[in-house]
Amino acid sequence: MNVNLLYAHNDWTSAKPYFDWYGMVKDLGLDTLFDAAKQDAVVRNSKVIYTEHEDPFLAQAMKKVMCVPLNKKEEVLYRQEILKDCIRHEDFAGKLYVLASKVLADWEKLGRKKSHTGVRDTKAELITDIQVLRLLVSGMSEVKTLLLENLDGLSSRGFLTLYARINQEFSQDVQENLEKILNDLSFYADTSVREVKRNVFISNRPRLQIDCGLADGLKFGDMKLESIETSVKAYTNPYGIRAKLQGRINGMLPNYISLYKNTSLQEDAANLEYQAVSYVMSCCSGVLSSFGYFFDQLHFQIGFYLGAINIKHLMKRYLLDYCFPEVGERDSLHYEELKEVVMSMAQGGKTVGNTGNLDGKMLAIITGANQGGKSTFLRSVGIAQVMMQCGLMVAAKRFCSGLYPNFFTHFTRREDSAMNSGRLDEELRRMDQIISNLGKDSLIVLNESFATTTEKEGSAIAYDVIKALKEENIKILTVTHLLSFAQKMYDETDDVEKSDIAFLSAEHLEDGTRTFKMIPHEPELTSFGLELFEKIIENHER
Amino acid sequence: MFSLLNKHDINEMQAEKPAFFLDLNIDQIIDKISEDWVEDIRELYYALPTDQETEDYRRAIFAEVKKEGILPVLMEFLELMRQRTACMERKEKVEDAAQKHVWHIREAAYYVEALEMLKDKLGEISFQSEGMMGLMEFLAQCVSDAEYCAFKEEVFKLRDELAGFRMLLTYEKDRFTVSEGTGKGTYEDFLSECFPGRNKMFKSPFLSTPDISDLEREAIRVFKKGHKDFFNGAERFYKKHKKYAKEEVLLLQKEMAYYAAYLKFMLKMQENGFEFCTPAVSGDRLSATGLYDLALALASLESGRKVVPNDVDLWPEESFFVVTGPNQGGKTTFARSLGQLVYFTKMGLDIPARAALVPYYKKILTHFSVEESVETGRGKLMDELMRLRPMMGDEQAGEFVVINELFTTAANYDACIMGKKVLEYFIDKNCKGIYVTHLNELSKACPSVVSLRAAVDENLVPTYIIQRSEAGELAGANRQVEKYGLTYRQIKERFL
Repeated sequence: MNVNLLYAHNDWTSAKPYFDWYGMVKDLGLDTLFDAAKQDAVVRNSKVIYTEHEDPFLAQAMKKVMCVPLNKKEEVLYRQEILKDCIRHEDFAGKLYVLASKVLADWEKLGRKKSHTGVRDTKAELITDIQVLRLLVSGMSEVKTLLLENLDGLSSRGFLTLYARINQEFSQDVQENLEKILNDLSFYADTSVREVKRNVFISNRPRLQIDCGLADGLKFGDMKLESIETSVKAYTNPYGIRAKLQGRINGMLPNYISLYKNTSLQEDAANLEYQAVSYVMSCCSGVLSSFGYFFDQLHFQIGFYLGAINIKHLMKRYLLDYCFPEVGERDSLHYEELKEVVMSMAQGGKTVGNTGNLDGKMLAIITGANQGGKSTFLRSVGIAQVMMQCGLMVAAKRFCSGLYPNFFTHFTRREDSAMNSGRLDEELRRMDQIISNLGKDSLIVLNESFATTTEKEGSAIAYDVIKALKEENIKILTVTHLLSFAQKMYDETDDVEKSDIAFLSAEHLEDGTRTFKMIPHEPELTSFGLELFEKIIENHER
Repeated sequence: MFSLLNKHDINEMQAEKPAFFLDLNIDQIIDKISEDWVEDIRELYYALPTDQETEDYRRAIFAEVKKEGILPVLMEFLELMRQRTACMERKEKVEDAAQKHVWHIREAAYYVEALEMLKDKLGEISFQSEGMMGLMEFLAQCVSDAEYCAFKEEVFKLRDELAGFRMLLTYEKDRFTVSEGTGKGTYEDFLSECFPGRNKMFKSPFLSTPDISDLEREAIRVFKKGHKDFFNGAERFYKKHKKYAKEEVLLLQKEMAYYAAYLKFMLKMQENGFEFCTPAVSGDRLSATGLYDLALALASLESGRKVVPNDVDLWPEESFFVVTGPNQGGKTTFARSLGQLVYFTKMGLDIPARAALVPYYKKILTHFSVEESVETGRGKLMDELMRLRPMMGDEQAGEFVVINELFTTAANYDACIMGKKVLEYFIDKNCKGIYVTHLNELSKACPSVVSLRAAVDENLVPTYIIQRSEAGELAGANRQVEKYGLTYRQIKERFL
């Protein structure tokens, strides 16, 4: 049974992850977000309460969901609705997660993983299967109840259709039938002897009826299960006088075969018993795997939303504004007080927000002073894009952008020590891979690309690559120190206002103070690196 | 006794693998054919017909076996006979008398079914070959026999009676109850209602072993009381018809595999694009187009390497091919494919070529040098000569000889003289054949010798084409951006 809290229809497995996801995680510092997802910080009465408990599964779920971008506006809205429901009813979301976790944990205890390794004990496995079915059936019933209790407050299609689906696939009839089967098979799973009164014992006893023909060699063939049931009877000691007496009588009746003290016949009977139970359970295997899949998925999918709630709490703690982003046209991009959430969390919330409008621009060239906040801005857009594309809220008062499932980051990786090929070679190779994997709706974010060679050479490469890609309608945001490149692009643009290229620069005031804000500006010929060098190195020497 | 393999009665079939199997890689082909078959049938391909008539007899049968719709009938017959064998093996294994009798009924039923099926289905087709007509005659005679007819009736009666028995077993922890009749199917119905479209079947846990379990024995003991007639009848039948199978039928089962297995293999190779044809056997001219090494073709199915076919023509007045050319140029493969051509022709089967004209050869003789070994030069030469000696006996004549790299360890001058002598000997005995050598001189050893060369292209890469030719001596940054396809022009091209 599908959970469908991440996609309305699609199968989770058919979605395609970002190309070079690990590179993106590194470039954008997304690990911090995953950490935030697992931290169980709860807000009660406007206070952040940290519980010490950490759930690494939440981080995993966040990571897995985030690495697969959504392709359509409709899909983003679907998740946003559910997330809003979860934020409004945190208790409900938490309970659902706890319920799924508990079912899976109990399943684990019954030996979910063990069954496939080591020596196989088929009888034990069969008993486990019955117990697991019992566990899942009662779990399903609890999920149904929990949803029903909260139905009034929920408005997302995700939860409403989930309830409808459970009601259909786990209807009253289905539940009753499964419970009957569990009851019929209880002689097999539960062999205990219970004392009901003083010295009065009862136990479960099987009754099987099999219709069979004769196969080759007079063996039983073409078997049909006529009935299988459990009856609770007074317990008889198999070695006691009553059993002995009954055995004698059975042996004397013409149509009876007595099993009394005949181990070989008892083995055959046990074999037949096993076969019958395993046959009935094999009929249930579809249900078993369907419910098992349901709980795995429920745990995972609701885990994602719980992680999102945790991130939200942390944003709140650092006084970051958050909003649900709007999915706009392909070439739209505008934002209000957009903050780089990863750095904000790391630095305790004291970061500058950017406001701007790049609607209609397919290329943004960002130049300007070192330490001016260019890379931070670039990352803030990248992170917001990734968060939006998995249905999360973003750290801004307002954020609107197109969807780019083919999103690539190309950052100079300073820490990469290339042993075989030079650094430029490594950069070019990555660029080559990106171009090979471009598709419809592609966005590339470049951070100081091609800076690993001379300014002249790097500019020539950047000009070639970016111009060609832009002509192919690929959206590009680039931070660059290659001024000849930026200048050339600027010179070729007739009317900067009307063109689809934006030139941004890190703002610095007359007195040299940096505001860390990006403003539209002509590419600057003086790099403030020299100033910085002067300030830090030469002044220091003095 | 009627045989599909031998036109004339022969006493004993040779069961030894012929010496040339290994040299010509025929053992790889036969192993593969046998591997894809249930039984080990390699020995069937070991014995070569000793006269031309038997070759033709087989060829005519194979031509009819190839006809549309025949192979499935043969396969069905063989499968039924296989079932029969399986029943027989079980019958011999079990100790319980009643069980033995019942297995015997099954076994006999398969035998009858197989014969009837073969007779009925093949009866619809008219055959021209002596072998197939003989088979039909034998079958007609077999099934019209009065004794057989009575036997058949008895078998089917017992079989059907057995299949109709049903009983109801009730189990209540300490006892079973056996009663007659059938159930109402209540639980099966309930399960079908709970799980629409379920495909699981309730199977007896005791079917995994052929032996009867204690529970089954006990149940039968109770059950037998009500069916004494049947069980007594089964015992009588067993005792009366212990040996019912005709020897000819058992031989037929064995020999039919010879054609069916090869045809199955051939069809599979054809699906993979390899051609086969029926050779025309007459005259003195050896000629083939699209000839290839079947063992290499077989290996290519896995390795994916290309197999290059060759054309070949040896006119009546010509005697031997002498093949020279670069190492790894396809000389040995070519020699093997010629040997295989002669072998499969002699077996009366289709051959790996597009078309072929093949004279009748009495025998196949091969001599392949053993791969470079650690033996001393003298030891190896001795070894070669020792192996050559029996080939050059007095009685040989009209054979097909395949020789590959003789005398590689002898001095060039000596090797030439010896090689020439060997060639002259075989030519003198009116043998035909092929001689692969690195000695160019041998291509002019006698007037009737034809010189072939393994061809190479302009870069001296072997083309694996072997053609008539005189033997002769052989002669003898980009920028990083471009490398990654990242110039403006390259990127634009990548979007095309």
